[in-house]
Amino acid sequence: MFRLLEETGFSRVRSAVVPRFRFRKESTQNAAEAYGVKAVMMTALKPAPTDGSLAGAS
Amino acid sequence: MTDAASTQASLEVMLKDEIVRMYQEVADNPRSEFHFFHGREAAELFGYAPEWLDRAPAGAVASFAGVGNPHERSNLQPGETVLDLGSGAGLDAIIAAWRVGITGRVVGVDLNPAMCLKAQAHVAATGAKMECHEGRMEDIPLPDASVDVVISNGVVNLSFRKRRVVEEMFRVLRPGGRISITDIVSAKQLSQSIVNDPKLWAS
Repeated sequence: MFRLLEETGFSRVRSAVVPRFRFRKESTQNAAEAYGVKAVMMTALKPAPTDGSLAGAS
Repeated sequence: MTDAASTQASLEVMLKDEIVRMYQEVADNPRSEFHFFHGREAAELFGYAPEWLDRAPAGAVASFAGVGNPHERSNLQPGETVLDLGSGAGLDAIIAAWRVGITGRVVGVDLNPAMCLKAQAHVAATGAKMECHEGRMEDIPLPDASVDVVISNGVVNLSFRKRRVVEEMFRVLRPGGRISITDIVSAKQLSQSIVNDPKLWAS
């Protein structure tokens, strides 16, 4: 996702793991961990044509 | 259409049906147990403010099926136009509507028209407004450069065509607009048995 956002033209792409995310069922959680599955928060900006004074995602 | 494209197209149809079925089930029977946390328990886990959850309609809170809290970094401002991609029963749209205020606008898009009606009713019950469109995130039914912020919670991962979804988010955003989304990612390529199973993929 991070790469897709950058390739599409988004700037200031940021991501952070959602620390408390987990599956309720242990078997699902175990399978998810085996695949490196995690929840992430992502923010990004669509660049404005003129300047770098954009407000928004931090 | 090639065999591979044909297979993907039929998988997408099955996946759409499974997504509609699963999240309708969460909305209709929120007391059921699912393999993911949902409802108030999940929202509290992800840091939703208790006063938001107390103030929102119980049905919107009980049907919450997100994977994080896109409001944590959305920095929504009064007057902004927000798109909630995959708006479900409407909890995130409600919070967005509160934050952008009466001069702002909240637009939802959801695969399931019944969920759109439910979300609009939940938002209206708080005295706020939301318009919701039935549609797919791969073809967002909104004009170019028409929103300031896209929020989404546990939805993009459900698409087989994530690049297309990201391109659509980019298209509907105004220059200078932003996204704040929470979603599931995988560090490893999922096995073909998972990819080919709409029930697992929809999970």
